[in-house]
Amino acid sequence: MDLDLDFMYETFFKILGGISTTLELTILSLLLAAPIAFYMAVLRLNDAKISSGAVRVYVSFVRGTPIILQILLLYSLLPSVLNTIVQTLGINFNVFDAIDPFFYAVVVFSLNTIALLSEVFRSALISISKGQLEAGLSIGLTRFQVYIHVIIPQAMVVALPNICNITVNLIKGTSLAFLMTVKDVLAIGKIAASFGYNYIEAYIDVFFVYIILCTIIQVLYTAAESKISTFRAMHV
Amino acid sequence: MNYRPFDPSFLLQSIPALLPYLQITLFVGISSIVFGSIFGILLAKAKLSSIGPLRWLAQGYTYVMRCTPSIVLLFIVFYGLPKLVDGLFNYQIDDWDRSVFAIITLVLLFGAYVSEVFRSAYLAVPRGQYEAAVSIGLTPLQAVIQVVIPQAMIIALPNFGNSVINLLKEGALAYTIGLIDLIGKGNLIISQNFGAYAIEIYLACMFIYWVMALLIEKVFFIIEKRLDKGQTLKTVQTVKQDKKRARLFLIKGVKFHGPGS
Repeated sequence: MDLDLDFMYETFFKILGGISTTLELTILSLLLAAPIAFYMAVLRLNDAKISSGAVRVYVSFVRGTPIILQILLLYSLLPSVLNTIVQTLGINFNVFDAIDPFFYAVVVFSLNTIALLSEVFRSALISISKGQLEAGLSIGLTRFQVYIHVIIPQAMVVALPNICNITVNLIKGTSLAFLMTVKDVLAIGKIAASFGYNYIEAYIDVFFVYIILCTIIQVLYTAAESKISTFRAMHV
Repeated sequence: MNYRPFDPSFLLQSIPALLPYLQITLFVGISSIVFGSIFGILLAKAKLSSIGPLRWLAQGYTYVMRCTPSIVLLFIVFYGLPKLVDGLFNYQIDDWDRSVFAIITLVLLFGAYVSEVFRSAYLAVPRGQYEAAVSIGLTPLQAVIQVVIPQAMIIALPNFGNSVINLLKEGALAYTIGLIDLIGKGNLIISQNFGAYAIEIYLACMFIYWVMALLIEKVFFIIEKRLDKGQTLKTVQTVKQDKKRARLFLIKGVKFHGPGS
């Protein structure tokens, strides 16, 4: 088996150009998902029957179905739903041409990440003892202040390794965005390959790019972990 | 433009048409689980071995697999393996069934995931168990097989169940290399209807996957409860201790507050 090394070398740098799309997709999805996921986690911890049941079904559905099906479903569903909304509002706007598929990708990956993050936040919040909240309230902080200054910093320490996992999985998951014609790392590799049928070379390039990307992310998270470990809850 | 409304009856109708293809999905999934577990055991063994290079190789492999999107690996296997085999052995495997390539990919991934599960479960069994078994005259191999591994299996079960569900979900990618499994058939139905009913078909597939995931979760939960002999003993003991303590408190005239009250 002989690989076209010149092609591999050239394509590698072309593919690097796709990293920005992959990272934008990952970071945007995480940032959009985090507040909603946190709210869901708090909903599940409070004993609100209906809302916590709804959250549980949502989480179970997202975790029980392949992400590729979520992409296929939402990519056929969202444009027509948006179109119907636009039509009923009477706005003259062509949904099918004007909206970048990147937008749909962000929606899909956010919806997916919400479910995964809410579980992580929930287990992190459970690990903080109720005494922390009571102590905070007793010295006159509001509930909101206690969450911001006392509970979230401690919960973050517990949640961070799992958030790192979710981020790495999300980066890997965004490789499926090529199904929505988003030009990320994998899509660029695929396009470059299709000119001369150099599929293996291109995919090996893509493979290396993802390994580098995930390694950098994991190094960053490890650094963040050691930075915030000062908030580690004391267990007596 | 007018749109056809969502048609739930088509969703229900399509499920019987899709279900026969579930067996292909399951065939790919189950073969990957069986071979992947064997591969995972070997990897875990390598990670626990005292030979440095072997350990590094297994750890490096797991790290690389953790960072590789399954679809990229699937494409590399699907396009690269026939070329590799052709180059090495001068043998054509292009016409092999696509499920073979899907299974090879999933075995490579699943092996890496479960090797971590097996390794940590093995290490979670206290060393004293092995020492006690050897001290009563079992050979080291017997001690590992009859004492350590049964306990490690119970510890590994929940994570193993999670890995199985993840594997099943990753198996859904197989349609991208042209395997006619559940989703492959779904796509065929959609194209037979000229692109209509996509939402209904995809929803039907999702429900099938969801039910499978819930079932697997349930089955693993039941097995765990069944096999949980050591743990159950422990809980019985703690309950007894709690009752004893409660009685002590009652004698002293102090009201006993159990945990959580």
